[in-house]
Amino acid sequence: MPNQQPSSRLVMPSRRQFLGSAAALGTAFAADMTTLDVLQSPTFASELKQQQKHVILLWLAGGASQLETWDPKPGQPTGGPYRAISTNVPGVEVCELLPKLAQRMQHTAIIRSLNTKVGDHGGGAQLMETGRRPEPGTEFPDLGAICARELGRRDSQVPDYVSMYTSTEGRRKGTSGFLGSRYAPMFLSDQMKPQNIARLEAVSVSDHQARNDLRTLLAKGFSEHRHNDVVASHNTAYQRVKGLMASETLFDVSGEPESVRAMYGPTQFGEQCLVARRLVEAGVPFVKVARAWWDSHGQNFETHRELCADLDQSMSGLLDDLEQRGLLENTLVITLGEFGRTPRINPSLGRDHFASAWSCSLSGCGVRGGSVYGKTDPQGNTVVDGEAKAGDLFATIFEAVGISTHHEYYLGSRPVPIVDFGCKAISEVLA
Amino acid sequence: MTVDPKNLKKIAERGTQDIAFCITRQPNSSTLFVGNSSFQVVALQTDAEKPEFQPLTGESHQSYVTGITVGGDSGNVLVSGAYDGRLIWWDPQERKSIRDVEAHPSWIRGVIASPDGKLIASVADDMVCRLWDANSGEAIRSLEKHARETPHHYPSMLYAAAFSPNGQFLATADRIGHVIVWEVATGEVAAELDAPVMYTWDPRQRRHSIGGIRSVAFSPDGKRIAVGGIGKIGNIDHLGGPSRVEIFQWESGKRLHEIEDDKLKGLVERLHFSDSSNWLLAAGGDHGGFLSFYDTETGKLIHQEKAPMHVHDFVFDDQGEKLYTAGHNKLVEWSLTESPDE
Repeated sequence: MPNQQPSSRLVMPSRRQFLGSAAALGTAFAADMTTLDVLQSPTFASELKQQQKHVILLWLAGGASQLETWDPKPGQPTGGPYRAISTNVPGVEVCELLPKLAQRMQHTAIIRSLNTKVGDHGGGAQLMETGRRPEPGTEFPDLGAICARELGRRDSQVPDYVSMYTSTEGRRKGTSGFLGSRYAPMFLSDQMKPQNIARLEAVSVSDHQARNDLRTLLAKGFSEHRHNDVVASHNTAYQRVKGLMASETLFDVSGEPESVRAMYGPTQFGEQCLVARRLVEAGVPFVKVARAWWDSHGQNFETHRELCADLDQSMSGLLDDLEQRGLLENTLVITLGEFGRTPRINPSLGRDHFASAWSCSLSGCGVRGGSVYGKTDPQGNTVVDGEAKAGDLFATIFEAVGISTHHEYYLGSRPVPIVDFGCKAISEVLA
Repeated sequence: MTVDPKNLKKIAERGTQDIAFCITRQPNSSTLFVGNSSFQVVALQTDAEKPEFQPLTGESHQSYVTGITVGGDSGNVLVSGAYDGRLIWWDPQERKSIRDVEAHPSWIRGVIASPDGKLIASVADDMVCRLWDANSGEAIRSLEKHARETPHHYPSMLYAAAFSPNGQFLATADRIGHVIVWEVATGEVAAELDAPVMYTWDPRQRRHSIGGIRSVAFSPDGKRIAVGGIGKIGNIDHLGGPSRVEIFQWESGKRLHEIEDDKLKGLVERLHFSDSSNWLLAAGGDHGGFLSFYDTETGKLIHQEKAPMHVHDFVFDDQGEKLYTAGHNKLVEWSLTESPDE
């Protein structure tokens, strides 16, 4: 499938590249702070950020079937072969392919009424990444960049936005859009760990420390009588690089106890979910783990039998682990893709693209666990109650983690609301 | 009349709202029994003036009916299996259920009867083949050796089974292309075969799998086993790979033929060796369907027809002159003999 590649200004996870862009970054960052967001209340933002909310987005790339996950229709001609099973929340049923998540529904809200209309991979992904349709001349930031901006600490030494997408089909890097490269994702595509952030072997630990001490001394002297954002940002950039180098271990799950690794399962997706937990525990505000590829035009039921087993195990492990560490109340876990799949079953026993009546889930932070919002008709062809747009979902996510949906960015003098016009949070799924 | 694959001709086509997954018939009967996506077993009287699908009554399945077979002392027992993990015994004359058995904890993929009709075998995604007394419904034996997980840690699936013509052996085949030949009387493993090309694992682009052996059949002399599925697929979003058949001399493990067809693609869902001639029928499909006849000695294609739907199963009449195919929203009747006016 052809995929639309959004233009983006990426901060690649390379120390050298990061340093190389640091000087420019100082200016860009200052521009961000002074022209894009002049109305933002620093005090209010600071309060929000001190709460250290996190978001983990489990991106079901290619489009998972709502009928084989959150909105089963057993016994209907469109329902497929799988049963609906009861969950630990009375009255709420999910597909039998998610038995572990069914026993953790106290953490999860289901939205069954997304009608997002865009049924091609590129367009659908762009819509569900940014929460709004594209506009010529305006590059909107994606959910990760907004969360990085609103939830990240300015003095943080860990990345604000980490995105893992190791499959190649439908791979999208994400975009920080008009928020600037400061909020672009650290994008991991080929390896579980970021490349080139380790100390060079030719430089000893003591030499490395000595160099940093010298740079800090010189920088301190330089900045003592120069109080401006550019200089401050330059020094912040070095501190962040130092943090990035130290964060290498966050991506290494080999030191985790076997019992913890077993919770997530043996798959790559499971390991990435474990990395996501380690990252949020270290203070990363937004982590995206893309699990490709759910585009089941043929053999939908076999595909979902495989991928739902992966999702069920890995996400259950993630929720349990976050809860046991006291992180779940401050971490929102989302399952979302670019669209759902057709109720109609095609001759290859597949389901095709479908954006008219599909589902997503929100678990943890700010969510009224066990709630179900919206309803589709008996065969799942249309939304009959509580239709929700992409922007409504974004507003809900923002409210769940304490980001004001009334917030506006400024592009020059043009205000850009953080949530698309006419959209509002779905209060029924919020705690 | 002479039965010849080259005479294959569609006679009639009957539409249905359902996906017909499996089909069987009793000897000397014009009634077809079909398992479908409406969780039903339906009967179709082919020689009726206006044939109509009549659902059987009594107990009912709660999911797709994916296997159906005729067994019993005189072919008087009909058994169906479904994704609900249950086997239902039916009286084909009364068209009512007579027994309901919780057979597997997972989705049943196929149900077959032994050649003498005394045994029923069911295969399911618990990766167990279970043998049942066709008359009493009593469980006889469980055959367990197929791996429950694929090499990539995902649930495997046990798709297909076939008895040897003398009933002494039973072959079962799974998603990763593994075949086990069992001694029916003892449950011992007689042989193991592998057809790994049938299983496509995509580690890079899409990171899941597709395929598996979907059909298995013994040759009339019992010495060869044919397995059917799909070859390697580039884009596993679709069934866009070559239909594939492999024929083994199973006791030696020697692979005699690897047959791939890029013209009519998709899964080979059903295989049948001719009892009297040297041909093998492979049927299946992707979005469309196919019927392909291969020479069992040379592996060469003898004849091929497009089917008007993805074919999931077929059954012959007593003389082998007519073929009934069941598939996506259609049942089709075919003739393999020359038309009277030809």
